[in-house]
Amino acid sequence: MTSEDLIPAEEICTLYKVERTFISSLYESGLIEIVTVERKEYVPCDHLRNFEKMMRLHKDLDINIEGLQAIHHLLDQVQKLQKQNVRLKNRLSLYES
Amino acid sequence: MEFIDYYKLLELEKSASQADIKKAYRKLARKYHPDLNPNDKEAQAKFQQINEAHEVLSDPEKRKKYDEYGKDWQHADQFEQARSQQQQSGSTGYGNFGGGKGYSYSGDFEDDTFSDFFEQMFGGGARNSGSGRGTQFKGQDFNAELQLNLSDVYTSQKQTFTLNGKKIRLTIPAGVENGQTIKIRNHGAPGIKGGPKGDLFITFNIINNTKFKREKEHLYSTEEIELYTALLGGEVTVDTFDGKVKLKVKPETLSDSRVKLKGKGFPKYKKEEQFGDLFITYKIKMPSNLSEREKELFRELQKLRS
Repeated sequence: MTSEDLIPAEEICTLYKVERTFISSLYESGLIEIVTVERKEYVPCDHLRNFEKMMRLHKDLDINIEGLQAIHHLLDQVQKLQKQNVRLKNRLSLYES
Repeated sequence: MEFIDYYKLLELEKSASQADIKKAYRKLARKYHPDLNPNDKEAQAKFQQINEAHEVLSDPEKRKKYDEYGKDWQHADQFEQARSQQQQSGSTGYGNFGGGKGYSYSGDFEDDTFSDFFEQMFGGGARNSGSGRGTQFKGQDFNAELQLNLSDVYTSQKQTFTLNGKKIRLTIPAGVENGQTIKIRNHGAPGIKGGPKGDLFITFNIINNTKFKREKEHLYSTEEIELYTALLGGEVTVDTFDGKVKLKVKPETLSDSRVKLKGKGFPKYKKEEQFGDLFITYKIKMPSNLSEREKELFRELQKLRS
C-alpha cells in the first residue's frame, strides 16, 4: 500500500465534519481499517466508500454503531446473494434454449 | 406538472406536528435509504420524494407556503404580488427560502434530485444552501451498463465510450462475465470542496451471439454425428471458439455422450493465457429416406442382434 492510498484520519474528520471518536468506533467495530504510520493514523482509500456509507446511515437515520454493524453484515449478505443470483441466472441460461 | 401531496407521501395528516413529521420521515427513510437498497432505482426515487417532502414540511416557512396555496401553488407568486400591493408595508415576504438542509448525496443519485414541483414552488435556491445535514465531499458515483457480445469478450479489448460528455477509455479484460460489475476509480462526478472524485461502476450485459453456452470459463456445445460414425468410430470436425478442430470418435459412441476439450473453453478472467474447457455433447443423427437396399441391410442387422 503506497502513501497515496492512505488518507489521514484527521483530514477525514475535517472534510466530513465527524468526530474522531466516530472513526475510532467504526474501526473498533471492524467496519473500516485504520493504518498507523509513524504514530499518525490513516484510513485506506479502499475503505473510504464504506466509511461514507456508514457516515450517511449514522447521520441520516440516527443509526448507532451496533446498528451500523448489523446493517454492514446484512448488506454484505445481500451483495453475496445478488452475486449468487447473477451466477445462477447465468447457469440457468445453460439449460434454457 | 402535477401537484405533489407531501403529507400523503409521508403518510401524515395535515395537522401533523414537527415531531410527527420527523418520525414519519425517519421511518420511511429507513425503508428507502439508497445505502440500504443498493441498485434499487425505485427505492432511490422514493427516497428522493420523501426527502423532498421532508425538506418542505420540516421547514415552517416552506410548510406555511405549501399549506396556504396547496393545489394553487402555481399562482402563489401572483397572490404574493397582490397581497404586497394591498399591504403597503410589504412585510409578509415569503420570497426567501434560504437555509434548506442541503442534502447532497454521493450515492447512485441523479443530479437533480428534487421535483419540478419543488423547484417551481420554492425556487432552485431553496436547497443546498444551508449548513447541511448529510453534506458530502466525495463526488457522485456513476453507474453504467455496457452491452457486449460474448465473442467480444473472448479477448481483452480497449473500448472508448462517452459518459456524461466525457470520453472514457477502458480495457475490458477477457473473460468478463454477464452481470459482472467493475469499478473504475475517480471516473465519477468531481468531488465537492476538493474532495475525491466519485467512482464509475460498469455492469456488463453480455449477449450470447454464438452457438456455445458458457458457464464461467467453460463452454458447452452439441455436435451432430452420423449414425455410422457413432457405431463404427471415425473422425469429425467440430467448432471451437477459435476455430475448427478434428476429433476422433470412438466406436459405439452413445448419443448424449460428452467429450472434453481441455483448454478450448473461455479465457479465465484476469488470468492470462489460462482457459477453461469445452464440453461437446454428441447427438446422433439418424439416417432418413432409407432406400429399399438400406432397409434390407438394417433388417439383416436386426436379425443378427435378435
